[in-house]
Amino acid sequence: MRQRKSVEWTRLDNASKIFPATCGNKDTKVFRLACELYEAVDAEILQEALNITMDYFPFYKSILRKGVFWYYFQTSDLHPVVERESDPVCAPIYLDDRKNLLFRVSYYHSRINVEIFHALSDGTGALWFMKTLVYHYIRLRHKEAFADQIPEFKPNASISEKMDDSFGRYFEGRDLDILKLMDNPNKVKLVRTYHVRGTRLDENRVKVIEGSMSVKAALGLAHKYNVTLTVFIAALFIYALHKERPVRTKNDPVVLSVPINLRNFFESETTRNFFSTMNIGYAFGQESSDFQDVIQGVSGDFQKELTAESLNQRLNQLMSIEKNLLTRIIPLPFKDYSLRFASKIADRGITAAVTNIGQILLPEEFKRYIRQFSLCSSARMPHISICSYNDRLSVSFSSPFQETEIQRTFFEFLSEKGIDIEITSNL
Amino acid sequence: MQYCSHCQVRIRGNKKDCPLCGNILPGDNGACGQQEIYPVVPPFYERHLALRIMIFVSVVALVVSFMVYALFPSTINWPVFALFGLISMWLSLIIVIKKRHHITKNIMWQVTILSFLSVVWDWGTGWRGWSLDFVVPILFVSAMFVLYVTAKIMKLRARDYITYFLLDGLLGIIPVIFLLFDWIHVLYPSVISVAISIIFLSAILIFQGENIKAELAKRMHI
Repeated sequence: MRQRKSVEWTRLDNASKIFPATCGNKDTKVFRLACELYEAVDAEILQEALNITMDYFPFYKSILRKGVFWYYFQTSDLHPVVERESDPVCAPIYLDDRKNLLFRVSYYHSRINVEIFHALSDGTGALWFMKTLVYHYIRLRHKEAFADQIPEFKPNASISEKMDDSFGRYFEGRDLDILKLMDNPNKVKLVRTYHVRGTRLDENRVKVIEGSMSVKAALGLAHKYNVTLTVFIAALFIYALHKERPVRTKNDPVVLSVPINLRNFFESETTRNFFSTMNIGYAFGQESSDFQDVIQGVSGDFQKELTAESLNQRLNQLMSIEKNLLTRIIPLPFKDYSLRFASKIADRGITAAVTNIGQILLPEEFKRYIRQFSLCSSARMPHISICSYNDRLSVSFSSPFQETEIQRTFFEFLSEKGIDIEITSNL
Repeated sequence: MQYCSHCQVRIRGNKKDCPLCGNILPGDNGACGQQEIYPVVPPFYERHLALRIMIFVSVVALVVSFMVYALFPSTINWPVFALFGLISMWLSLIIVIKKRHHITKNIMWQVTILSFLSVVWDWGTGWRGWSLDFVVPILFVSAMFVLYVTAKIMKLRARDYITYFLLDGLLGIIPVIFLLFDWIHVLYPSVISVAISIIFLSAILIFQGENIKAELAKRMHI
């Protein structure tokens, strides 16, 4: 008799739960990490590197399945296959009932793409996967160059640390009462925020316009205003959104959703989701629309939101909703509907989004092989994703609309300040 | 690399116009020898054409049937039958299409929906009892065989079909209610269905008990 292997499965962590319910053709909840090299990608070596990488990331073999009450991850023995890029950027990955991996690896000329369904991992988690993949690719591709000494690259966590559900570890969420939450006096009143309108692209594609520039130059500009790069880009984005909007909406506040990497606040090495979001806004109705003032306002918001206290409170709330008995016993299809509804409501308070996954570090010796990294994502609203490698800062602007006024204003502002920008666009 | 003098940015790839301002770029198009950065993905035109044809044919059939009935009236209102026939067909077809990636789930959905439809049709046409006498028990029993054969042919793993086996085994026992409440005129199909289901259920519980337990723990976790 064959030996029975017990079926391995895992629950979705708190942040992942929203993604299967709300993904669709309009917003696939897929994001892409790309690494551009100086030479064409060798598909066979990339496949070899991917096979090695998979051993370090067993969780990436998961497929997503539907239970009666919740979705769950189930381990599979599927092997990811490297393909030449042939789909639109951030094409759907998770489709109901289809048993496929939740990420794909492709290449095009000299670029390696890793596209990931957000339920599997957040940007930081995916970046570790990407770095491991690129490390092994370059190590294999340039064996002769590294004949004497292979540059060191340590996995930064054990396998079990990588698979950790850090939400469950840090947030109990039991002491909060849902009913009390409902009439919380501190709750922010929902005001009408500005929403970008435009002509949707055919087949719900995403328009990615990526500007790459020198990190030093961009940082220099941000420091002139005495703020960090994230604050500067967020403020400039708000400014560009404001400048291009129709007059009748001029008084509505512009609000950005900004993800926070919780690994910076709570000790965790998970490659799964461990992030939260905050809303950064600027009330144009009441304040001046001078760029200097916008930057001050945004900077203040960042400082206010980014405290362990406010994070703790928010996450415990989310956790208590998840752990509530009533939420748990609602069958999955109803959960899907309520989550979709809740996310629509939340979207009303948001104009656009900004993500910064920061500086990407790889061994020094790799600098002559890697041109730049970039990050972009599917977009139900305009979304800016930032990352940097070496002295290359990549600012990717994803949008579901044909119009490019906001992008133009955004990049023109930078080029007028004397920053040399290289624009890449997918459409 | 091309340069847009309006936006003051350099542009990578073979672009005819600036992605930001839309102005035509001065560069000698095509001859600038730049490599494409992104592949050109052609649009997916013919999507769902077959489905659209079927919807159109359904509409035409319905309109024609009502038209003929209006011109040549008869004692039976058969266009209404055509309408309900089409509704039944589409109900079943939509499930087939929506669940096409999960074959065992699909079979169970079909069994449920066809049993339901047969009872509705039977009731709507004067309740002669053929649905409970024949259709429902025969559907349950044949689903067991279809599930088993599919699982074998497609080399499915126990975890992919075991809960559906269990579900169908449980459904197959339902005709015992028909027997107890004396709702039926013909005994054979229901008796056979109940008997086979009990044997089938005992077989999977005895041989695949742990698998079922593991599957249920996974699917029912709250």
